[in-house]
Amino acid sequence: MKTVKNMSKSTTPEIASSAVSGQIISFLRNYYIYFVLLAIVVLLSLTNLDRYELFERGNFLYEKNIINILRASAPILMLAGAFTLLMVSGYIDLSVGSTMGLSAVIYALLAINGMPFLPAFAITALCGALLGAFNGLLVVKFKITPVIATLITLSLFKGIALLLVMDGVSAVKSMGNLKMPSWFNDFGREGVLLGLPMAFWVAVVVTAFLVVLQNRSLLGKYAAATGGNPTAAKLSGINTSKVVFVLYAIVGVCAALAGMARASFMSLGDPLSGDGMELTAILVVLIGGTAFSGGEGKVLRSFIGALIIMTITMGMLTLVPAYYQTLVIGAVLLAAAASNHLISRKEHGS
Amino acid sequence: MNVPVHIKSIPSNKKHLSDQMYITSLVALVAIGLFLIASLFVPNFFQFQNMLNLVTNNWAVISLGVGVSFLLVSGNFDLSVGGIVALSGVLSVWLAQSIGSPNALASGLGLPYWLALLGAFVGALAIGGLNALFVVKFRIPSIIVTLGTMMVARGIAQVITQGSQRNTNLPEEFGVLGNLKVFGTSMQFPVLFMALLLLLAILIERKMVFGRLTYWIGANPVASKLSGIDNAKHITCLYLFSAGIAGVVGILLSSEYQSGFSNRGLLMEFDALVIALLGGIAIAGGFGSVIGMFFGAIILAVVTSAATGLTLSPDWQYILKALAVFLAIVAQTWALARRNK
Amino acid sequence: MASQQQSPVLSIEGLIKDYPGVRAVDDVSFSIESSTVHCLIGENGAGKSTLIKMLTGALQPTQGVMKINGLTYTPTSTQDARDNGVATLFQELHVVDELSVLENLTLGMEQSRFGFLIKSGLEERVIHTLATIEPTIDPTARVSSLSVAQKQIIEIARAASSGANVIIMDEPTAALSEREVERLFTVIKRLRSQHVTVIYISHKLDEILALGDAVTVLRDGKHIVTKPLSEVSGRPELIDMMIGRTVFESYTPRNTMSGEVVLSAKGLSNALLNNVSFDIRKGEIVGFYGLVGAGKTEIARALFGADEVSGTIVFKGESVGNSPKEAIAAGIALVPEERRTQGLFTQLTIRENIPVMNLQSMSNNGLYRLAQEQSIAHKYVEQLSIATNSIEKHTEKLSGGNQQKVVVAKCLFSEPDLLLLDEPTRGVDVGAKTEIYDIIKNLADKGNSVAVFSSELEEILGICDRVFLLYSGSLVSEFINGPDIDINNILNLVTGGNQGVTQ
Repeated sequence: MKTVKNMSKSTTPEIASSAVSGQIISFLRNYYIYFVLLAIVVLLSLTNLDRYELFERGNFLYEKNIINILRASAPILMLAGAFTLLMVSGYIDLSVGSTMGLSAVIYALLAINGMPFLPAFAITALCGALLGAFNGLLVVKFKITPVIATLITLSLFKGIALLLVMDGVSAVKSMGNLKMPSWFNDFGREGVLLGLPMAFWVAVVVTAFLVVLQNRSLLGKYAAATGGNPTAAKLSGINTSKVVFVLYAIVGVCAALAGMARASFMSLGDPLSGDGMELTAILVVLIGGTAFSGGEGKVLRSFIGALIIMTITMGMLTLVPAYYQTLVIGAVLLAAAASNHLISRKEHGS
Repeated sequence: MNVPVHIKSIPSNKKHLSDQMYITSLVALVAIGLFLIASLFVPNFFQFQNMLNLVTNNWAVISLGVGVSFLLVSGNFDLSVGGIVALSGVLSVWLAQSIGSPNALASGLGLPYWLALLGAFVGALAIGGLNALFVVKFRIPSIIVTLGTMMVARGIAQVITQGSQRNTNLPEEFGVLGNLKVFGTSMQFPVLFMALLLLLAILIERKMVFGRLTYWIGANPVASKLSGIDNAKHITCLYLFSAGIAGVVGILLSSEYQSGFSNRGLLMEFDALVIALLGGIAIAGGFGSVIGMFFGAIILAVVTSAATGLTLSPDWQYILKALAVFLAIVAQTWALARRNK
Repeated sequence: MASQQQSPVLSIEGLIKDYPGVRAVDDVSFSIESSTVHCLIGENGAGKSTLIKMLTGALQPTQGVMKINGLTYTPTSTQDARDNGVATLFQELHVVDELSVLENLTLGMEQSRFGFLIKSGLEERVIHTLATIEPTIDPTARVSSLSVAQKQIIEIARAASSGANVIIMDEPTAALSEREVERLFTVIKRLRSQHVTVIYISHKLDEILALGDAVTVLRDGKHIVTKPLSEVSGRPELIDMMIGRTVFESYTPRNTMSGEVVLSAKGLSNALLNNVSFDIRKGEIVGFYGLVGAGKTEIARALFGADEVSGTIVFKGESVGNSPKEAIAAGIALVPEERRTQGLFTQLTIRENIPVMNLQSMSNNGLYRLAQEQSIAHKYVEQLSIATNSIEKHTEKLSGGNQQKVVVAKCLFSEPDLLLLDEPTRGVDVGAKTEIYDIIKNLADKGNSVAVFSSELEEILGICDRVFLLYSGSLVSEFINGPDIDINNILNLVTGGNQGVTQ
């Protein structure tokens, strides 16, 4: 018999070196976003922003400008955290824009018909939960793939919102006998603390709550398990269907809050006020390092990502005309997706 | 030693239709059925002109649907087509506008008409190439990539038109293509384009190797690679094909309206996706026919125009669309499962 | 011995599992003592995996009884088995990479109030269990940063801390380095000292001799022997028990081999392979034999250009190995290891599956020859005796053997000069097996070459003219098939033994 000498087997890579590179990747994922925000703020504050007379005193760091940006950020800030949790579990919701619009309409309708703030607020939030739960139903019970399911509801909710608005007008606002109550601006526009409206602070509180939820609750942990390894999750006895359903409902509530914030800011209930929000949300969570495949993503990072996007968007308005926005956002989306995916591939040793 | 048992394959079999033909026929029947039902309730619905309008009014979405359908069958999305429509339209205008007007929006690059069209088409293909690069080379999920390129394409259009449109200082021949009536009938050139494109698509899908490749890749990309198929090259071709179609659509639309409008084609990519899904094309890939997509478009057109005919507010179309897609998806899954029990 | 009164932790009585046409497990009875490492060995097809699937609840026995600690045990699912204290280590790891070690260990068992996690004794217990098994793993580390071996240990710790007293490990060392294997053994010994019973399935006889307390041998679905390893004299005895003295299907030497080298591979190396070199000649059937992890699939895929490998592959004078497309054009075809996920388009029909590897002949300037597709499908269904009443049948509906035939038809249609088959008869019934062997022989008789990659010795020795033996990524031996081959030595070499140690 011919023999070939048995060569020694190659040893698997030392655990130490792979752990170090793993740590670097983790570090990048966790902290680069803060650097990005810092960098953008610094850059913007150094430039002369008088060109389009949008910012007072031409200085980015002027108090009024910061307040404007943060106030305008309230809707996306409300939504970013919940959207992140949903994506961590491996699912997506493209109907958030329509939920926002429908919530804005409901809120305005209730207000204009005499309902006081708290009940109107609570009912609208509840509607948001129901809308989200409906998404959950389609995905979990009917087993429709999330993209199609939420495209269906995108259309459905928008249609309902449009129908609810009175004929002849494009949005719910003061007309004829019906007047928008004076408290309507309180939520989204009137400054209550540090010049910032209630909506912003609610967004902060919601985000804080979701951070705790993600790190300290069963739901948060199970969301990561469902997204990271659904088989392992199920084998451990986790009811992944319930987890996903609840997450969709939470996204619904947050979308409703976002809709109310915007309605309150604009003093009317515009059914189309949330259009395009799903794109912004995707962009924001991508910047925050959330992976589309699930398992990966942090609420706080998405919050910072939202601040970055809003800062870029509004800051950009001072440098270039508004019509550059779509192009820049699209380019940023592509860049974020590319870098996100490359980091993911490195992590999983593709 | 066991003697192997031969079962001679019998040419005729229980099922005369493949699953795909079955679903496509189902969609066609639903489309016709809906039309008949609508005719009962909506005044003046059952007229030849109306039937024709259902198709001709939707020539743009159906054309886009061809590219989107092929990509879906291969297992990929293309949500950038609406943006490409805007971009190519705007480019065709801008490149053809004569130079030298003091108004920035009235002044273009002054190229000869045919060159402007070529430039617009190349611009569209560039976006398609971008799609292919990110999806094939970087392997980023196509839904994100094409959302991004949709924004980039529309964004460029918005920059060129400064957020509105360009519609002045155009050469005389600019409005010809979009408004051309063919063969002395009232059929416009764009409709002819759609018809030819559809015929080409059906030909490719049913009779050409290229069509077959799409199905193999969509059904099992791993097996297709191990069977010697170059997945990357094929998907790149598909994205260029889809972008090319969107480019032509954009050129024709801007010719018809004699303007390059940055909001043109808004949300058309979702409509194209919807009619493909309605037509039985599986989102997972490897299944479905453009014929089905065509009838899916008819279903949608019947639903929306019936709503208008019943003087329902146009806002109802969103709800009806949602309902139609929902029923279609659920019905198709159920029908196939039952058939293959 | 005080074990008289102590009932075994697991006892199997008269277990039978039947499939249409085959009895996979044939009246197997034996028992496993508590706190032991009990090894299960046997050739491929001996019935080991079927037996294990019944133990874990993935399959139901046709007849027979299983008992745990004297109580009847009839699991209906993996979760059910877990609840009864039987945990399994699968080859695909069931850990969540994105969570920490501690989070993985407590997954599904956490204590909570109003949905929020609260500290309980669980964390301490789990960390303690982990520490007793493998103290070097940091419980706060993210699992994605751990090596495969460490992830495996996490799964073991999880099983142990969830109260499992029987842990089944199926080929656990397939992906581990020598040092990691040692570490795993330490873990297993620690488990044993904590009264956990480990059922250890492996082909690596050295490991069994080093680690095991008792061994059970299965062959052809039947139980051969169960005895303490202290009473086993060494490798040869184990090998004897595994293969018995059955005579293999007699191999008739063929005379169509021309001696002309058609493929020459030199120095093939990658993550698993180590400098593998060999030749294949025209008209011959070569076999690559080795066990799990030996490198068979890696070599097959490298030859086909599906994976990157360093070294050179020269086929009919041209260099190949860059892509499947190139390989097919040069005349090489591969029947892949996993027919459902790699070889077939399961949602398509038989007719639609077959032509894909020879598009040149199906293309008439880009037009697809539909009529030819029909006739080709009919031709191969007839030629390969594919059991179907229609070429329009979806391939996912076919039996394993017929599915495999469709894949073979697909490859044959590309008119290969060299056909590679990776585990060609895995999961295939006896009738189809013989038919596939006939196909292979016919192909070689016509002057083509065939390479069979298999972990079934009977198959290799039944049809191959020349055989290469693989162990752990290296080519350890080569021999010509004939009546005087030494089977003991073969099994010795593929299980890691050194050449020449036969007695």
